[in-house]
Amino acid sequence: MIIPPFTKTYGRRTVLRTPQLTFDPGKIYVLIGPNGSGKSTFARITAGVLDPDEKNGKHVSDGVIRYMPQKSYPFRMSVRRNIMLSGGDPERAEELIRRLNLTAIEQQKISSLSGGETARMALVRVLMKPCDLLILDEPTSAMDMESAMISEQLITEYRNLYGSAVLLVTHDLSQARRLADEVLFFQEGELYEYGPAEKLLYHPQKEITRRFLEFYGSLAK
Amino acid sequence: MLGAFITAWELIISGDRELINILIVTAKTCLTSSLIALLIGVPLGIWLGTTRFKGKHVFIVLARTLMGMPPVVAGLLMYMLFSGVGPFGKLKLLFTVTIMVIAQVILITPLVIANLETYVSPISQQIYETAFGLGLGRRRTFVLLYNECVYPIFSTYLLAFSRAIAEVGAVSMVGGAIAWKTNVMTTAIMLYTNRGSFTLGIALGMILIALSLLVNIAVTMMQRRLSA
Repeated sequence: MIIPPFTKTYGRRTVLRTPQLTFDPGKIYVLIGPNGSGKSTFARITAGVLDPDEKNGKHVSDGVIRYMPQKSYPFRMSVRRNIMLSGGDPERAEELIRRLNLTAIEQQKISSLSGGETARMALVRVLMKPCDLLILDEPTSAMDMESAMISEQLITEYRNLYGSAVLLVTHDLSQARRLADEVLFFQEGELYEYGPAEKLLYHPQKEITRRFLEFYGSLAK
Repeated sequence: MLGAFITAWELIISGDRELINILIVTAKTCLTSSLIALLIGVPLGIWLGTTRFKGKHVFIVLARTLMGMPPVVAGLLMYMLFSGVGPFGKLKLLFTVTIMVIAQVILITPLVIANLETYVSPISQQIYETAFGLGLGRRRTFVLLYNECVYPIFSTYLLAFSRAIAEVGAVSMVGGAIAWKTNVMTTAIMLYTNRGSFTLGIALGMILIALSLLVNIAVTMMQRRLSA
């Protein structure tokens, strides 16, 4: 899937400027960078929920995209109905519900769920159907370690099953190390450096990337 | 106070025809006006809360300002428009229940719009992004958004009804508080108090509060059932 170059400006401030990017099927692309670096804006524009600047034209995707926003909305209905909102195979729903420990609460109203349970429900919901590009904006940030690990397995399995390209926004560098085939490092609205995970995460070319990795890497150890 | 209670009770159980007429006119006016305000205000409030366009804030500020419009001002406006020399004088609506309903609709619709906009605005983008990300169409997204609004729609209705049943300025100005025709609870309380019948005024006040309580209980029960 080819994403054309675009910019995003609020008032006089350009918050994002990216070159043309290609997301190959079956690969997991992890977006890293400090807060406010433009990762989520990039994810939202790529997903089609936010328009880039007018001069870039509206981004129209040439494939099916599924997107889980940072604050995925829990609709006022049962967990199961939320999961089945976009349809999909009920047997797959059962499997995902079981794997992410939602069986006991699948008939409960969404209002009674904790933040972590809501995040698990939102992930199951977006994984229900195949797509060409799966975009996940910090899907595990509200989850405990065990759920986050299971979620990572499910994301990898989804990629393997459907051959989708996956775009994952995360602040968790160890998660990036576990999942990424390619890494995109954002800094102050620019795609500062990108390339294979092995190269970028362990041997970054640019000083600013190296400093970011050192700082967050040392925190994650 | 005890005397007022007894009088209120006696009035109710005696089936006083004038009281029943006042109750019917009050219920007819307030239920109709609050329902019409809901029918106009809910779609407008949701529309304002979900769309982005230049000048949107002008509409929001206007709705919020009109929320505080004094009932007598709404009454005066309607009086000028529908009096014999006004542009709508030929309709001969002055001193009818219809004009009372119109005046109340003008008073309470901004309340409904502003309330719904305030509720919808912070969640609409989240709902849109989630639904879009799941590949749901516009119609489905809209249905989901309405579903999220069920609870606030009920509470907004209660607010609108409470404002309608409690106001006196607009209905007395355009309705004229004509006995057996346009006299509602609030105007009747004023009339009795002006005549020095305080006990009767308090008795009517108690019935008014009881009526308001009944509507609140009924709507809250419906709200709970639908939210379950």
